[in-house]
Amino acid sequence: MKGIRLGADITRPFQDLWTKGNRYGTEFSADMELWPNLFPVFESGFEVMKINTSYIDYKSSGSYSRIGMDYNFLQAENKNDKNIFYVGLRYGFVLAKQQVNSYTIDSYWAPTTGRFGNQNYFAHWGEFLIGIKGEIVHNFYMGWTIRGKIKLNNKDTGMPPIYFIPGYGKAEKGFNMDFTYSVYYNLPWDFRKSIDRKKAAIGVPAKGTITKKPSPQKLPAKK
Amino acid sequence: MKRVVYLIFFLIAAVACKEVFEAPPQAFLKASLLNSSTKKSLSSVVTARGVGMDSLLYKDSTITILILPLSPNNKSSFRITFDSISDTITFTHEASMKYASVETGFYNEYKLKSIGFTKNRIDSIQITDSLVTKTWHENITLYLRPLPAGSN
Repeated sequence: MKGIRLGADITRPFQDLWTKGNRYGTEFSADMELWPNLFPVFESGFEVMKINTSYIDYKSSGSYSRIGMDYNFLQAENKNDKNIFYVGLRYGFVLAKQQVNSYTIDSYWAPTTGRFGNQNYFAHWGEFLIGIKGEIVHNFYMGWTIRGKIKLNNKDTGMPPIYFIPGYGKAEKGFNMDFTYSVYYNLPWDFRKSIDRKKAAIGVPAKGTITKKPSPQKLPAKK
Repeated sequence: MKRVVYLIFFLIAAVACKEVFEAPPQAFLKASLLNSSTKKSLSSVVTARGVGMDSLLYKDSTITILILPLSPNNKSSFRITFDSISDTITFTHEASMKYASVETGFYNEYKLKSIGFTKNRIDSIQITDSLVTKTWHENITLYLRPLPAGSN
């Protein structure tokens, strides 16, 4: 497939519909078939989690990134067939902050109130996923992934512990499942042709081109 | 693709329900009432309130176990009437804030240091577990003098 495919996850802004608390964000991605059926991928996003109850007002936010690779299993039926069914691996990391703007401890005597200031933290995790990307109209794609996320580590912030990791989910869980649904546009840029043109301009033979005919060699006569 | 979109909307509709957040747990001091003569469980009509507080914790309740909320400060005093005979108990303790979860919040747990009390009806108090936690369990035993014969 030629070009770079740019995508936006349309499920991220609506996550509060299926998660506890007010969770929302944005996520963009870029992938490219550098080698046959192998697509290096870069994903980046921003997420916010807010919980506001009678007892606590919490907020966490941060920008995360993932790098990884997808492998396409689907055999192309013809040279214009760009649909892929793939498995992938990701390494994700985030720099985030959380804050308890206020908390209340109820008591017969008198309620106690307080707050915790900004806590900055780093976390990272690994993901394995399965998904499809199908071309809807020329160069426009849609696709979904189902992801398993395994937490590798996060900073110990003390009180309160980290509750939410943007891009990963609840920090108390060592494993999280996620679902994404994205739309993509394929920038029809043939980077291989561009490289070949540049090489030709500076006199470097492009890969796969013959610059000189091999001289005929005489084979020893058979006895 | 269409089917997948329908499936997503179905899943969203299925899970999009009102969120319920639980209140944080609370740690209460639990006291068992025992007869100081027989050392057996004793039932008493109890009225109790925190000293300086308006609201009653118990009002003419017939109980064998007393549940008392401790103050986030270091002292909690209670005025307790056992079968019309009043006593005051003062607990000296340390409070420590605990984290339940971000979805519920924080709460206090306590460690009892000492207990002072008047001896109108109370004979003695024994600390059985000085840690007052969210899992309510017996912390003290209150030994009450038996009522004089013919009273009640």
